[in-house]
Amino acid sequence: MNPRVSLCLSLYRRLASAYPHEFRILYGEDLERLGEDAVPEAWRRYGVSGLVRLLADIALRLPGEYFTEIRQDVVYALRVLAKAPGFTAVAVLSLGVGIGMCCAVLSECRAIVGPAPGLRDPSTLATFIWSQVSYPYFERYKDARQTVASAAAVMGPVPFAVAFTGDQSARTERVSGHLVSPEYFTTLGVTPAAGRVFGPETEKPGMAPVVVVSDRFWRTHLGADPHAVGRSLRLNGSMATIVGIGPKDFLGIWPQSPEDLFVPVTCGVSLAPELSGDPLHRSDREIFRVVFRLAHGVTLPAAEAALDAMTRNLDQETGARYARDPKGRVVRLMPAGTVGYATPEQHKLVDTFNVVLWALVLSLVCANLAGLLLAGGSQRRREIAIRLSVGASRVRLVRQFLTESVLLSFVGGLAGIVLAYWITHVLSSLPLPSQIPLEFNCQLDFQVLAITLAIALAAGIGFGLAPALSSTRTDIGVTLKEGAQAPLRGYRRFGLRNLFVVGQMAASLMLLLVTWLVALTFLSTARMDTGVDVANLNLVSLDPVRDGYSAERAAALFRNLPDELARVDGVRDVALTGSALPSHGDATHVSVPAGDGKVGQALNSVYRERIGANYFATLGVPLVGGREFDLRDRDQDLPAIVSQTAARTLFGAGDPIGRRIREGELTYTVVGVARDMRAGLLRSDPVATVFLPLTAEWLGKNRAQRVTLLVRGTAGRDTMAAVRDRMASLHPGLTVFDVHTMQEDLDRMNSLAQWESAMYVILGFFALLLASIGLGGVTAYAVVRRRKEIGIRMALGARARQVQGLVLREGTALVAVGSALGVSGAYVLARIFAAYSDVLARSFGRRDNNPLLLVGAPLVLAGLAMLACYLPARRATKIDPVSALREE
Amino acid sequence: MTEKNAAAFLPLHANWFHILLSLAGAEQHGYGIMQEVLERTNGTVRLWPATLYGSLKRLIADGLIAESDERPVTELDDARRRYYKLTRLGRAVLGLECERMQEMVRMVQRKRRQEAW
Repeated sequence: MNPRVSLCLSLYRRLASAYPHEFRILYGEDLERLGEDAVPEAWRRYGVSGLVRLLADIALRLPGEYFTEIRQDVVYALRVLAKAPGFTAVAVLSLGVGIGMCCAVLSECRAIVGPAPGLRDPSTLATFIWSQVSYPYFERYKDARQTVASAAAVMGPVPFAVAFTGDQSARTERVSGHLVSPEYFTTLGVTPAAGRVFGPETEKPGMAPVVVVSDRFWRTHLGADPHAVGRSLRLNGSMATIVGIGPKDFLGIWPQSPEDLFVPVTCGVSLAPELSGDPLHRSDREIFRVVFRLAHGVTLPAAEAALDAMTRNLDQETGARYARDPKGRVVRLMPAGTVGYATPEQHKLVDTFNVVLWALVLSLVCANLAGLLLAGGSQRRREIAIRLSVGASRVRLVRQFLTESVLLSFVGGLAGIVLAYWITHVLSSLPLPSQIPLEFNCQLDFQVLAITLAIALAAGIGFGLAPALSSTRTDIGVTLKEGAQAPLRGYRRFGLRNLFVVGQMAASLMLLLVTWLVALTFLSTARMDTGVDVANLNLVSLDPVRDGYSAERAAALFRNLPDELARVDGVRDVALTGSALPSHGDATHVSVPAGDGKVGQALNSVYRERIGANYFATLGVPLVGGREFDLRDRDQDLPAIVSQTAARTLFGAGDPIGRRIREGELTYTVVGVARDMRAGLLRSDPVATVFLPLTAEWLGKNRAQRVTLLVRGTAGRDTMAAVRDRMASLHPGLTVFDVHTMQEDLDRMNSLAQWESAMYVILGFFALLLASIGLGGVTAYAVVRRRKEIGIRMALGARARQVQGLVLREGTALVAVGSALGVSGAYVLARIFAAYSDVLARSFGRRDNNPLLLVGAPLVLAGLAMLACYLPARRATKIDPVSALREE
Repeated sequence: MTEKNAAAFLPLHANWFHILLSLAGAEQHGYGIMQEVLERTNGTVRLWPATLYGSLKRLIADGLIAESDERPVTELDDARRRYYKLTRLGRAVLGLECERMQEMVRMVQRKRRQEAW
């Protein structure tokens, strides 16, 4: 035979044998025989082109035949799924809810630590963990070229009284901004939308003040004026030229506290009173935060080690001594350039916690799916046997099962994606806590989505395949004789389905307990028990220093304003204070002078609060002992009030009233002892606090840059309108801002924790939903499978009650084992997390809310599981025994 | 009823038409159909094997042809080959398709007469 013909024939045979099994059974032989005739004939008639056309014909038709079979499989699978709507609904719902929940929760968490808008390559930005340094230190860090490519110092938020005309008497508006070193924009990689940004050459001391405004400010305050660059603004009474407009979305390095004005630190004291006392040259003024752009290839730990060593050297040079953390570090780094800031440890904890939750949810989904598919597969033994006996190949049947489970996973996955989008959409539209005007852009994390979908698909395929493989290996004859149901076996204690019920119960319970424990923790810590009487308590903020008041005028204002306002009709109490509630944001060092009776005690970390006269009375929190600050204090030593914890630490059991303490360079006399107040969110232990008198000098240096006026009015009267009128008439140049009630203030603080806990409540709710879907599905299916047995029992005279009792007893045993495993699993998980974080340790260790949850959650789940057993059992006992037996 | 179903297959795919036409006279096996089509069309239409069996499969699935149980006389029979025959539906479809084509030819002829091509 011609070699071309024989080559063509062998290729033809190979291609023919690659056709789908069913096609080959019907036409395989004919096709081959036809080829044997057609190949030599094609060669004779058309030569090589004939052979090529013949091979092309058989090759091109091959995928079409497979496609036809797959289409048949899909149509058949759709029919099978449609015939069992309960099974399909449970599987799709379970997959959808699981995937949607997993993706949404993980995406949400990633969004919080996601990159901040407007920055170039945010992953190489870093900053010290909540510690501030002096400007001379910063200048040394900046030169560490091997570690940092560039660095910028930032002070802020800093308020500016902004006027849009040069007129001195023009009304001002308070706008927040940053005082930045000239390298700020270049370090962050921010290019202006118009004009220029700062640079070391252009920004030098003594030059005319300049400002870069944010895109938001340009739109809202400058009317999107295309000629805004070059215009002047009056900032804190001094004129500054706008040299640039920031890019869209850029609101500073800390988007959670967005800034609109960026002023170089070289602008001078008259424009920024924060710069008084020469902080640019004094190494004891630690008021700057530093943002580093790490050099190429330098990791965060490496940079931390280098900067720490450098800081120690600097400390030695300047003689400063600072507390070291447990690892012996003076400074620590965390990533900057993200929406929310978190230390590497916090990152790790949140990541681990969420990944464990995600894994639990996913394992629940997989367990649901596995239980359903295995149960479904074993029920279809008869169908498989019939199809095998009429000539279907095993491969074809396995493929059929595979198609069904892939279809199921696919539809479930689609439902999951829709749900995930919906949840993330809802989350994005939720108002952010603390009224941060930042859009929380929570988007679906496609990496998470892909992994989740892949695992769900793999589970679907795996658990769909298992029954197909085992069923197709069975003896057809025996199966056909047996009927659809497996032989009547006794109750199998360790049967696969029972293990699934137990596993599912345990996993659901663990998930439920862990998520709800966290949610309850957030909620309970969020409910700040401040002891403050919030009724008719209003807050007003003032900043006389930035309104141009001299130190003397401000001091006079502080002295007189409370009395002036106390005379307003309806006002019951008035007090000035640094912050409405102790902010616990200003740590200091306090000691008892050695000469003061006993040996001097020292408190290294004590929080310093600034308050005016009558503060505690206005809050409605009585002092434990002594008195408040009042007019008498002007003639005496500087007075101080200490918290109970501070008093105990400094003076032991002795009476602190009249004792002296030293803070900084000043000595104070303790005149009162205040009740311990909650230190803030997620901290339940009281912290030592000293309350020092509010002074105009302090306000100039204070980072909060405001004083708050507490005004308690009378119910049913608009006291605040009268107060504002009085202030406007007495002090026309004083800007009053941020007027709100104490209740709003507390709500604002609580909203963060509520928001966080809402996440976990949602997660817990979905876990419950998932658990009920899975438990209900699997147990109901298990009972339905026993219809024949139930029928026989009923036919033999068993009563409905007895049969139901039997099913419920078995169900109870499984549920009890599952609950025990779930509770102990949750306990172990809680321990592990507690070891990671003291916040979680406190929450898991709390005794007050646990019993309800520990008993309630298993009860709810067990109830659901028992209901899922009972309903189908009752239905099964209602049917006619004969028809149940004849169903085969 | 049959008529209505048959109309749904029109216009008939060229390959299908040739296969049905081959089976109109007598039952045939695959190779026979291939050869007959080739001869009838003077070698212009060639049904390559995979195309032929793909079409046969579809025609059987749609009920236009069926496998035949009857075998030819022993000396002409090849035990390995399957024989196919037209079903009633297949015959009806072929008849309708022929009528349709005749009508088209008539239409063209009318047009030619009127406009004197």
